[in-house]
Amino acid sequence: MKKYNYFLITCISILFSITTASAQDKVAKIALTFETVDSLHVCKAFVTSEGQPVVELPVKLSVKRLFTKLPIGDAIATDSTGVATFEFPNDIPSKDGKLTIFASIVEDENYMDTEVSGEVKWGQIVVSDNSNVDERSFSAGRDRAPIYFIAISLLIIGLIWGTLLYAVLQVFKIKRLGKLEEIKE
Amino acid sequence: MSENINKHETFTQAEYMVMKDDLLRPIEKVGKAGKIWIAFLVAVLLAGVVAYIIQETKSKYVTTSLRDYTMWGIYISNFLFMVAIGLVGVLMSAILKLTNFEWYRPLSRIAEVIAIGAIMFGGISIVVAMGRPDRLLNLLLHGRIQSPIIWDVIGITTDLTACIILLFIPLIPSLVTCKNHLKNLPKWQLKMYNMLSFGWQGTPEQWQILKKTMKTLTALVIPLGVLICTITAWLFATTLRAEWDSTNFGAYFVSNAFLLSVAVMTFATFVFRKAYNLEKYLTEMHFDKLGQAMVLMALIHGYFNINEYLIPAYKMSGLHENTLLNLFVGKEAGFYWSVVIFGIIVPFLLPLFPKMRKPLPLFIISIVVLIAGWFRLYLIVIPGLLHPYLPIQDVPASWTHYFPSAVEMTVVAATFAGVLLVVTLFSRYFPIISVWEVAEGELEGKEEIFNYK
Repeated sequence: MKKYNYFLITCISILFSITTASAQDKVAKIALTFETVDSLHVCKAFVTSEGQPVVELPVKLSVKRLFTKLPIGDAIATDSTGVATFEFPNDIPSKDGKLTIFASIVEDENYMDTEVSGEVKWGQIVVSDNSNVDERSFSAGRDRAPIYFIAISLLIIGLIWGTLLYAVLQVFKIKRLGKLEEIKE
Repeated sequence: MSENINKHETFTQAEYMVMKDDLLRPIEKVGKAGKIWIAFLVAVLLAGVVAYIIQETKSKYVTTSLRDYTMWGIYISNFLFMVAIGLVGVLMSAILKLTNFEWYRPLSRIAEVIAIGAIMFGGISIVVAMGRPDRLLNLLLHGRIQSPIIWDVIGITTDLTACIILLFIPLIPSLVTCKNHLKNLPKWQLKMYNMLSFGWQGTPEQWQILKKTMKTLTALVIPLGVLICTITAWLFATTLRAEWDSTNFGAYFVSNAFLLSVAVMTFATFVFRKAYNLEKYLTEMHFDKLGQAMVLMALIHGYFNINEYLIPAYKMSGLHENTLLNLFVGKEAGFYWSVVIFGIIVPFLLPLFPKMRKPLPLFIISIVVLIAGWFRLYLIVIPGLLHPYLPIQDVPASWTHYFPSAVEMTVVAATFAGVLLVVTLFSRYFPIISVWEVAEGELEGKEEIFNYK
């Protein structure tokens, strides 16, 4: 029996792969809607397949950031009407208030991966106070270092290198004294 | 006491001649072992140069293990080690000299040469770590005076210059001694001594200038040495990593540097004593004193180490938790506790016993302390980098851990060979123990000016 094990496992694996592959052939469509109820942002993902709502299907929500997508909480499964409802945080920063939100189905057993996106003005506009950008400070660029800091730095560097120069000059003084001694002798 | 006075009174020109013979002997003849040693160091140094060329000409992603998180690897921890042992000149020469601890005399030049070699190769480690040496000039042209990196560059350059001048000035009388005493040397070498001795005649005025300048420079190198250690600590403390978020870091680095300085001094004293037969000058008393200094420095460093880890561990805030638990009970625990035991507890406990302050036991302890010291700095740099504030996710596996590549290890080995080569070559061409300073020590208590020619 043992010698058939390998053959059986291979057959089962092939069958499993075929079944899974055909199962994942189903296509789901997501319709993304946004609404605000009592200052609470709600995002709804309505999932259908072949015109019928899909139930118990996990949907992931994310928002576009500079380099990648930021997940908004864990995946939420669709309810009996095929809708997954998400509460969307109201403190996601954005330059102009616009956010690109993605709803996606990823690695489901029955449905192929799919993703839709929508743009909504739910972002918290970041107001940068750049009025102090020209001020001299420790965090500023090299040409905007505080004057007192530059002065103290130069003073310290000057004093130390001045002392080193003085020491080198003393060596030449030793040489001069040596020459005078030679002449005397 | 009376014995001591008699000893000083009997220190004659004849005895001075014997001392000169003893201390200048290593310059006269380089034995076979010495030549093999130098050839070995040159070979390792060259291997490092080749490794560096490979690093610079091929992709650093392949040649080094440095990645986005561990952007500072063993090059930087090695730089910290070099800066730390560079403080040996401050401790073993300047501080002892200024506080009139007479036993510094035969040690001061050894300490200064090690300091120069270490600071030099510490600076080279930084350039190697930069990865683009052609951009070095940009650091000066476009650097910000507010940045600790610029202050590190200024500090290292200044300290190196100060140490070279401080080494050279007391060397002037010794160069005349070499010129007058060593006749069987190549002509170029004698010419070099003549040129570098700057017409030294040993007149009272020359002595006065020499000693005054030495005193000024000695006082200068103390804050300079402490400064570069502290600034190096600030490079870390001002970078956003939980493990480095410490107000204690400057003092922690300086105390570590003092401990490593004593260890490296012990190591060098033992080696020179054996290699050049200098038992008469590098005596058991020196090891006894070095052992006592080691206990003191280990105690001070232990105190700062407790401050550095115990207080954040007591609070165990979210930011520190990751990195601290990793060190105490996690992946790095064995490493961390070995470093604490061999790097702090061993140098504190063992030299408390007089038997352990004898040359050989203390030499072995110093090796253990130096190795543990190197790894202590490794443990400051690497785990710190691997625990950033933002969680690590969706990155290649190679970014999440670090083990130095062969290229990195070869370059680091070459920096050690470089320091040893600087010290070895110096001791082959110049007296590694200052003849006149030791002789002056013998004349302690007398007012006469002895012309050490």
